[in-house]
Parts: sequence; structure tokens; C-alpha cells
Amino acid sequence: MKLKYIFTLFILVVIAQLFVPMQMIFGQEAVLNNGKAYKFRTQPVDPSDPYRGKYITLRYDINAAVSVDSTWERKQDIYVYFEEDSLGFAKLTEVSKAPLVNAKDYVKTQVNWYNKYDSNVTFNLPFNRFYMEENKAKPAEDAFRIAQRDTLPNNTYALVYVKDGEAVLKDVIINEISIADYVEEK
Amino acid sequence: MNSKLIKELPELVENDVISQDVAFKIERYYQSKASDTPNRLFTVFGVLGSILVGLGLILILAHNWDNFSKTIKTLFAFAPLIIGQVLVGFSILKKKSQTWNEASGVFLFFAVGASIAMVSQIYNIPGSFTNYMLVWILLCTPLIYLLKSHALALLHLVYATVYACNYGYANGSKAPWLFLVLLLLLLPYYITLIKSKPKANITSIFNWLLPISLIITLGAFITKFDELIFLSYIILFGLFYNLGKLPVFNNLKLRQKGYLVLGSFGTVVLLLIASFRWVWEDVFRISSFSGKEITLVIVLFVVAFGVLIYLFLKKQAEKFNLFHYIFIIMTILFFIGLQNDISPTIITNILLLVLGINAIKIGVDKMHFGVLNYGLVIITALIFCRFFDTNMSFVIRGLLFVIVGIGFFTTNYIMLKKQKSKETKILK
Repeated sequence: MKLKYIFTLFILVVIAQLFVPMQMIFGQEAVLNNGKAYKFRTQPVDPSDPYRGKYITLRYDINAAVSVDSTWERKQDIYVYFEEDSLGFAKLTEVSKAPLVNAKDYVKTQVNWYNKYDSNVTFNLPFNRFYMEENKAKPAEDAFRIAQRDTLPNNTYALVYVKDGEAVLKDVIINEISIADYVEEK
Repeated sequence: MNSKLIKELPELVENDVISQDVAFKIERYYQSKASDTPNRLFTVFGVLGSILVGLGLILILAHNWDNFSKTIKTLFAFAPLIIGQVLVGFSILKKKSQTWNEASGVFLFFAVGASIAMVSQIYNIPGSFTNYMLVWILLCTPLIYLLKSHALALLHLVYATVYACNYGYANGSKAPWLFLVLLLLLLPYYITLIKSKPKANITSIFNWLLPISLIITLGAFITKFDELIFLSYIILFGLFYNLGKLPVFNNLKLRQKGYLVLGSFGTVVLLLIASFRWVWEDVFRISSFSGKEITLVIVLFVVAFGVLIYLFLKKQAEKFNLFHYIFIIMTILFFIGLQNDISPTIITNILLLVLGINAIKIGVDKMHFGVLNYGLVIITALIFCRFFDTNMSFVIRGLLFVIVGIGFFTTNYIMLKKQKSKETKILK
């Protein structure tokens, strides 16, 4: 009887342990399948994570917005709205403290700080981490620096799928090639 | 030591100290005890093996295999998790030995962490490290109770501490309140341990690790008013000391008394720091404080005070042992210090002196060399500290050192003589 009881509880634990990663997968897949793809101009830099392996941190061109509201606080939630510009890149339209009632796509992130002198609120887009094979992360950063030296303007961007405020970073592209392949070619 | 005793048994029987029957019983007792030991060793190696394999898995997965498709990566993410779950399920269903429970549980613990990490990689989920740790720890907490696993309980405590440090110290602005929830989840397990096997090794490991974890993390809770850190720690050490005097802990050996040792030692170190005037000058500058920090300090104080009252009710407190009340005195001093910085400095110095003498007296009464010298070390440290900020002449300082040095010799010598005379009395 007692064994039965313990085993039932164990099964519940098993379900919970399976549920968490599965739910993560389903959430991300839903965005990838039904979300709209945006290109965000970005720069990669190279840190690490002790458990999840090497990744490159992405520094996006969209990282601040002018706001007359001066009551922004650090770590406060901020909704960042954007649309596609004529070149197909994501362009910031507005920021707000609460979700707005309009059809535009948005992501939710946190305020870094508010600069009172130029009425600028800064933030980091939440999809700023791209995991790479451990020996590719550093070359990827270097590859980006080399790619920047050519005549084209910033030709590195992140391909991000967005749906209902959820964003999934699919790939980072340099000169129209996936960054992992780009590093391998070089 | 046991084998030594067994070897001496024939001699004892020969000289009619014990009967043949008793000798046989003693031998049997130690043999039955010995048969437990290899099993325990096996458990330790099983757990170590699982930890290594688990950590190795996490590292291998962290390589981020680019060449595999998303599906294969996902399979890799779930494979260790499911293997771990099957192993644990098998141990529970077949009622396997403790070794099985511990080893499979630890493996599953790391498999859970690996699978969440792997999914984060596949989809580039940025989620913060602390959230990841929290979900991981919580998903494995029930296993502690289902498997009755000491190793998992230890991992829970260690990882919860890592979580609190990453959340509190790294962020700076937020207190890791959920760490307290994690500790509460572990508490029933710890209490059962204390009740069922108060003298077991695993219990004494917890008697040390739990207070150490609290000492490490307490500072993370004080985010706004750094001056309160001092007060909260002195109360925490007072709480530890009084907890250590509870009947359940007080009858243990010194190496098992984590609370008492850490409480006493921590109190002395903090008092030594507070014997400098600049500490009180900092306190003097405080204009106001409020909020959650004050609540935390009050709660700590009430708990420590409650334990002290309990000790008195159970007649376990030694009325003239200053260590019991230091946290109360220092709290009062802290509030005096808000108005005045000289008297708290002087009183702290006197307190240290009294504590030192107190310890020497306890050492002499109990014929305990460790406690005696502990008291002498306190006084030496106090004198040493005063060398930095007083303008005494070198001659006086030198004389003070010589006097304390002679004190060391004489007290130890007198004690040794006393002990010897006692021993000879017993032998006669």
C-alpha cells in the first residue's frame, strides 16, 4: 500500500519533470510555426555559461527609445513595439509600460535605465543569447568584426520569430549565411 | 579501534575481567557492525559516480552540437532524463538498497538540469540563470522524500545556496526570498534526521552545512541598508549559539556541534570588528531605515530570543554564560550607537574581555583545554586589535604581550597539574 502511494507520487514528479522541458519546446515551436519573422540588426560578443555551454551575446541596434514619461525605473517591464522597414529589418515604433491595443508585434523586456537629459529609456531585447558549438563562438565574434570591415553597411542580423509578445531567436545571419556555416567556411 | 578491542578479548577472558560469553557477544556485535561498512562505502562511491556522470553529461551537452538536427538534439535532451526516471522508478518499485536510491536519485537530479539546459540551447531561450536553477531544484525536491536520499538533500541545500548567491549578490537590488522557501522544503527532512539519528555523520554534516548556508546567504537579503548587515549577522550568530545549546545538539561531540562552534566563533569575530571605533561611526551616520530588512532583523531577533527563553524554561541555559545574551546586548548597543559612537566602542571591548575570561572559566571548570585556550585567544586577539588604534607606548604593548603569554603558560600548566592529580586520585 505504501509502495503504491510512493510510486504514484513519483509518477507525478516524473510528469512534472517531463512537462517543463516539453512545455518549453511547445511554446517555442508555436512561435516558430505561426509567428512573423523579423530581422534585427545586431552585433555578437562572446561570453559563456557554466551549464548551458557557449553562446554569443547579441547587442541589438534597437536598444533605446525616446520617451517623455520620466518615471521609468530599473528592471521595470517595458513593451517594445516594432514593424518592418522598407529593407525588411525591424524598426522600433514605440515603447510602453502596459500592452497597447493595436495589431503591431511587440516583445516584453526590462528597462536598463532612464536618461533624464535626453529623455531616453534604454533596454536589452530579451532574445540576446545565441548558443553555438563551443569552438565556434569565438570565431563567430571575429567573423562578425571582419564582415563589418567590408563596404556594406551592418550586414549582420538576427532572425527572430515573434507571436503575441513571445520571441524566438532562430538564427544569426552574416552576409546572408547562417553564422555557424559562415564560421565553417572561413 | 574495534579490531584492537577484539584482539584484547582473549586476554580479558583469561584474566577473568569478562566471561567467555560476554567476549563472544562483543565479537559478534562488532562483526555485525562491520558488515554495514562496505555497504556505506559502496553508497558513497555510487553517489560520487552519479555526480561525475551527471556533470559530465551536462558538459557534453553544453558543447552545442551544431551538426545534429533539432530532432536529434531534442532526443538527446530527453534521453538522460528518461533513463534517470526509469532507474529511480526501478529502485522504488523493487525496493532496492539505499545505494540504488542515492545513486539513481543523484543521476536523475543532474539529468533534469541537463534536459532543461539542452532545450534552452536548442531554442536559444535567454531565461536567467537563477530561474533555471530554481525550476531545476524544485523539480527534484520531491525526490528527497520519495527516495529518502541524503545525497539529494545535500545537493538541494548546496544548489539552493548557489541560487541565493546568484540571485542576491549578483543582482544587488533584490533579496532571494524564495531561498527561504527552498530551505523550508528541506526542513521536515532535517528534523526527521535529528530525531531519528541525532549522532549519525549525515546529521552532523547538516548541522554544519545548514548554518554555513545561512551565513553565506544572509547578506544577500540586506540590499538597501548595508549597516544592518552587521546587526543581522550578530543576531544570526546569537541564534546559532543558542540553537547549539538545545538539548538535541548539546550532547554531541564538538565536531558535530556546527551551530555552537559557528555561533560562538562568529560572535567573537564580529565583536572584534566592532571593537574598532570606525564601525560605530558608520552606525552613527545612519539617518533612518525601514522596509523588509528591518522586518527580517526583527524576525531573526524574535526567533533567537524565543530559543533563549526555551533554553531557560528547559533549564539548559547557563546563567552566567555571556554568549547566550550577546545578541541582545549588541542590539541595544546598536540603537545606542545611533546617537553616540564612543560608549558602544568601549562596551564592546569590555564585552570581549568578559567573554574571554568567561571562556577561560568554563574551560577550567570543565577541565577542557580547548575552551580554556579559546578564551585566551579571544583576549590575545582583543589586545592585538587595540594595537592598531591606541597610542600606548611600545613598552606597555610589549609588557601586555608578555603578560598574556605567561598567562597562556601558567593556566595550561595549572590545568595539566590539576588533571594529573585527579587522574592519580582515580587510579588510587
